[in-house]
Amino acid sequence: MKTREPLSLDPLTRATLLRRAGAGALGVSAASLLAACGSSGSSGSAGGSTSEAIKGQAILANYPGWMGKHNLADFAKKYPGASIKMISNATSSSAEVVLQFKSKQYDFLLSDTSDAGQASAANLITELDWSKIPNAKNVSEKFRKAYPWGLPTDYGKVGIAYRPDLVGGATITSWHDLWELIPKYSGQTVFIDLERDCMGSTCKYLGFSSNTTSPDDLKKVQDAIVSVKPHLKAFLNTDVGAGLVNGSTAMAMDWDYDVALLQQKNEKIKWVLPDEGVHAYLEGFTAVKDTSKIAVIQAFLNFLAEPPQYADFVNTTGTAYLMPPSTPLILKSISQNPILVPTDAVLAKTEFDKYLGADGATLWSNTWTAIKAA
Amino acid sequence: MDRDQGGVAIERVAAPPPAAPRRRRIDTGRFARLGLLAPTLAITLVCFIVPLGLIALYSFGSVNQVDFNVYFGWTTGNYRAFTSSLYLNTLARSVILSVSTTLACAVIGFTFAYFISRQSPRAQRLLLVAVIVPFWTSFIVRTYSWVDLLQNLGPIDRFARALGMNGHIDILYTQWSIGIGILYSYLPLMILPIYVSLERIDPALFDAAEDLGATPWRQFRRVVLPMAVPGLIAGIIIVGVPALGEYVIPEILGGGKTLMAGNILADQFLQTGNYPFGSALAVSIMVVLMVLLFTLRRAQPAADPQ
Repeated sequence: MKTREPLSLDPLTRATLLRRAGAGALGVSAASLLAACGSSGSSGSAGGSTSEAIKGQAILANYPGWMGKHNLADFAKKYPGASIKMISNATSSSAEVVLQFKSKQYDFLLSDTSDAGQASAANLITELDWSKIPNAKNVSEKFRKAYPWGLPTDYGKVGIAYRPDLVGGATITSWHDLWELIPKYSGQTVFIDLERDCMGSTCKYLGFSSNTTSPDDLKKVQDAIVSVKPHLKAFLNTDVGAGLVNGSTAMAMDWDYDVALLQQKNEKIKWVLPDEGVHAYLEGFTAVKDTSKIAVIQAFLNFLAEPPQYADFVNTTGTAYLMPPSTPLILKSISQNPILVPTDAVLAKTEFDKYLGADGATLWSNTWTAIKAA
Repeated sequence: MDRDQGGVAIERVAAPPPAAPRRRRIDTGRFARLGLLAPTLAITLVCFIVPLGLIALYSFGSVNQVDFNVYFGWTTGNYRAFTSSLYLNTLARSVILSVSTTLACAVIGFTFAYFISRQSPRAQRLLLVAVIVPFWTSFIVRTYSWVDLLQNLGPIDRFARALGMNGHIDILYTQWSIGIGILYSYLPLMILPIYVSLERIDPALFDAAEDLGATPWRQFRRVVLPMAVPGLIAGIIIVGVPALGEYVIPEILGGGKTLMAGNILADQFLQTGNYPFGSALAVSIMVVLMVLLFTLRRAQPAADPQ
């Protein structure tokens, strides 16, 4: 099981901050710092490979904006003749990601433990030659074990963000509180439009594992979401909590990094780690089966795992990070943000997603379709 | 006819050429025509018939939910699944939304097309350009612009509040916003065919109707409306058919809450990976559309005064 227990080893983990805030004011100064740092440190060149041997363009399917401001340009500069073409795609299901693995349109993809686990089961992944990625040692050991298919890059929790001033000063501490308030403030709540995160969080609300494959459990999950669906404003998979800033949304099921970003825009926004527990993801970059660009991919992953480059990635995306050696280069607003830095108590309530098997994945998929169609 | 009469010479000039050479031309013409048709037939076969056949074939298959390989066991399970209330309700919702937005398009489109047709030629050209101009912008961009327009604290909401409305309009991410999006996007496709029908009406018909004592309303009802029916039906087909399978507008303006038939169908291919079920949905929706189209085609000749 790819749980996040290992996170307890890393005091800085989850320190993700304003994913896109990094791209803003924070990112500017950080970018200067990172640029100054250049490719120093343990950069290496893909395990001893020469830059001459690394040629061609690898195509990456990635979440929109999920890359350091300078990562791709710096890589192309370091490896003349090699480059990464990033195609943004906000997927909303594991099947969608696995279909991308199968499509042969990409050389490597951002995928979480659930996606990559299924892709691995379908034999759609190329195993990396870790001797070519010596910088992978910068990733905490437990994260590497939890994500063996590629280079783990980040993780995040799903909690609640809300504006107390828009819900009559009410205090939300649990998923139960949220479900209670949704009908009262009808049309002011947003849920995540992502099967695993939305249903997983509802599992927590109902006291189930967020990796349950019990039909009875999932039927109750379906009923719980459908019961409040008429009162939801929307299911969104990008800019989920954006409405909290201007007040058009009062409550949102949202990711930690997104809330950290939003709080910089409006300090009235509160983050809640629900009492019942939270669902979380761990994701990374994984190579597609039989890709012809494996040398470029391995070189890029090794490059990305250099502390300065990884810090650029974290400072831009604002995500919780999992490479402690990058800490000195990561913005304090991220590395010291209580939303993003998990305590042992937080970790004890966190359950990471995992691949559910064919039957489980089908059941989740069908339940999600039923929820959306209801 | 008496060949001894004076008109003989004229009849001989107009007589058809000898039969034998004409037959030879028909034989060669058949091959020539087939040759000319071949590219069109090939395109139709490759781009329409074969894909439709594949979709029909896939609809009887099943999928491995791990690697998404499709197997052909000739099962009808996909069609049986479609008969569940879950999907039938979604189809019904799509039909209702499609019909209502098409009717709204027809009413507004007819009004606007009639207005255009009554203007001077120069004004007509300007108004037609105004109808077409939105197409110069990306469909996606135009649809996303409605998110900004309709959201709470957006321009429309602020305007409504300025007029004294309490609270917010709360239209975005509802069926209303989907309807507005479809109406806005498809309205030009309704206006143009209706305008073509109206523009071809001989003005003398209005004079004749007036001479016969018809009031303006009676002229409209007995002259304009019947003459516009072919364009109206064409507009209904052009708008109604794609509106039923509309996927992008509900995705953007529905906030993921209002799933339409087009969304379920697209999700089977893009998110769930269940190609066989998606194919069964596609075939089922096609059947519904074909029934509607045949019904409209049967109605058209009866209503066409020509």
